[in-house]
Amino acid sequence: MATATIAQPKGRRSTRARGVRVFKWSVLSPLILLFLFLMPVFLLQIYFSFHSWTVYLSTWFDAEYVGLELFQEVLGEERFWNAMGRSLLFAGLSTLGCFICGFALALLMYRPFKGQAFFYILFILPMLTVPVVIAYTADMLLYEKGPINGFLSYFLPGDLSKFTWLSNPNFAIFTIILLEVWNWTPFVFIIMLAGLSSLPTEPVEAARILGASRLQIFREIQLPLLRPVIFLALILRFLEAMAEFPKTWGLIQGGPGTATETIPIYLYFTTWVSFDISKGAAMSYVVMVIMIFIVLTAIYVLRREKRALDALHETSRTEA
Amino acid sequence: MNRVTKARLFTIFRYAMLFIWSVIVAFPIFWIVSTSFKPDWEWHAWPPVYWSKEASWVNYQAVWGRPESPRTATEEKTQTARYESASANKPWQALWNSLYIAITATALSVAFGAILAYGVSRYRILSEIRMFQLLVLRMIPPIVVAAPLTLYYSAIHLMDTALGLVIVYFITTLPYSVWMTKSFVDEVPVEIEQAAEILGATKWQAIREVVFPLIRSGIVATFLFILILTWSEYLLSLMLSKVDVVTLPVQLAKYEGSDEGRVYGHQAALAVGITLPLMIIGIFIRKHLVRGFTFGMVKR
Repeated sequence: MATATIAQPKGRRSTRARGVRVFKWSVLSPLILLFLFLMPVFLLQIYFSFHSWTVYLSTWFDAEYVGLELFQEVLGEERFWNAMGRSLLFAGLSTLGCFICGFALALLMYRPFKGQAFFYILFILPMLTVPVVIAYTADMLLYEKGPINGFLSYFLPGDLSKFTWLSNPNFAIFTIILLEVWNWTPFVFIIMLAGLSSLPTEPVEAARILGASRLQIFREIQLPLLRPVIFLALILRFLEAMAEFPKTWGLIQGGPGTATETIPIYLYFTTWVSFDISKGAAMSYVVMVIMIFIVLTAIYVLRREKRALDALHETSRTEA
Repeated sequence: MNRVTKARLFTIFRYAMLFIWSVIVAFPIFWIVSTSFKPDWEWHAWPPVYWSKEASWVNYQAVWGRPESPRTATEEKTQTARYESASANKPWQALWNSLYIAITATALSVAFGAILAYGVSRYRILSEIRMFQLLVLRMIPPIVVAAPLTLYYSAIHLMDTALGLVIVYFITTLPYSVWMTKSFVDEVPVEIEQAAEILGATKWQAIREVVFPLIRSGIVATFLFILILTWSEYLLSLMLSKVDVVTLPVQLAKYEGSDEGRVYGHQAALAVGITLPLMIIGIFIRKHLVRGFTFGMVKR
């Protein structure tokens, strides 16, 4: 990261420093004003999470002060913790799925071959679709008499027109995970492809000359060098998956029952279906605290890995 | 097994694997396109109809056409029922909403992001840790502030207005625009700029004549990348719009038939319309997608 410092006479330097300061605050002040403008949102959230209010009460001020009761209600609720567990399961498994598929594809494709550009364009298409569209497409595909069952019935015995992907409570969450994997494998794929093709070639060559096998080269040279990219892909994917809403809501609204009710779905349900604004606010707080904890950990790791990555970019640039 | 056989086997294995994944990727896309051309009795048929022999533009006409338009000859011949509802003719309204909200928010975000990124890259007006803290705006799920945001918006009459949506889109895409444009500015050597200044250019001239032309394609890529994000955004649009500023993704959910479930053909026709521009843009900036999604941390 280069900072512009030009040796200049003392007088000019101080005018310059003032110019930078003016520039800095004229850029940052609109942003700060915008945040101040949105500040009431957070104040409202505090207010609602300490006062019991639903939309059936006419004005906000009618709400009754209940102290920490709502927080106790949320924290003591089994449904909330189930949703949290489901969110973590969903994010964890879908991240893993995306990673395995995406990394495998990138490994198959990072060296030039015939048709590389074609496959690249084809494989990035899923992440260039609107998530809600995926939900509705999935509904058409996974419908009991839909094409997936029709297609599978060519290969598998038995009447598949009764197999349900969505209304089986034990299986529905995996259907959603599969959709997420379909949608976001390209994300890992393009990151790993970029990572693999920007690796310095010397260490691999050297190892090959010294008689290392393919597997050894992969495990002991390429994988360690790829670590920052891998972490980056995993972290960003996991965080996005924690917030996944459109596909799950558009497809099955957290059903059947609560089988696919993740945290965003449950929050939405509490606030916009049950109209329990106060409980929703309290729950939002709990989720926000948990998420901030996760995000700060993620950012800590990201910062470390970005430094490693920049160093790697630096070495491969000087090599070239 | 010698090296040549091994290499040949690997080639076969590679194409086999890529073919399998191609089918997985292409099949849903094929299905939605093919459904959008099917007449209504084929939507729910068992065994499913893969390739309709009676393909027509009926669904597109029903969704995108004018509701008062006379029935077409094909419609008359095949006795296609029209699923007309309150949502008829709304797609154009939704398309217009989507377009100008997404473009306005994106333009603001990129313009502001680029200026901020320039300051960060050259003068470090935000420290590294502040830059990372900026990512929090994107990483906290928006649903956690959604309820109070809705109430606040209703109180200050921003509910169901374009401005309201533009503000939230601006904020949630800011981390991407700042980080992505910064990665482009970082690639322009400071020396070029300094040389211009030594030759007598003012700071502003140096930026306009030297730096900007060098990062222009990067700015365009950032703009298109963020356009993809704002175009497909669903949750915030669902909550902050009611009638006037319904965007396309929200409009899609409104095609529900009353008795026989979802109106697949119409949804498909609308979905194709929403997705097509996105795919074209995405393929156009495919080289920059990595940079976008990783906040400029991974480059190709």
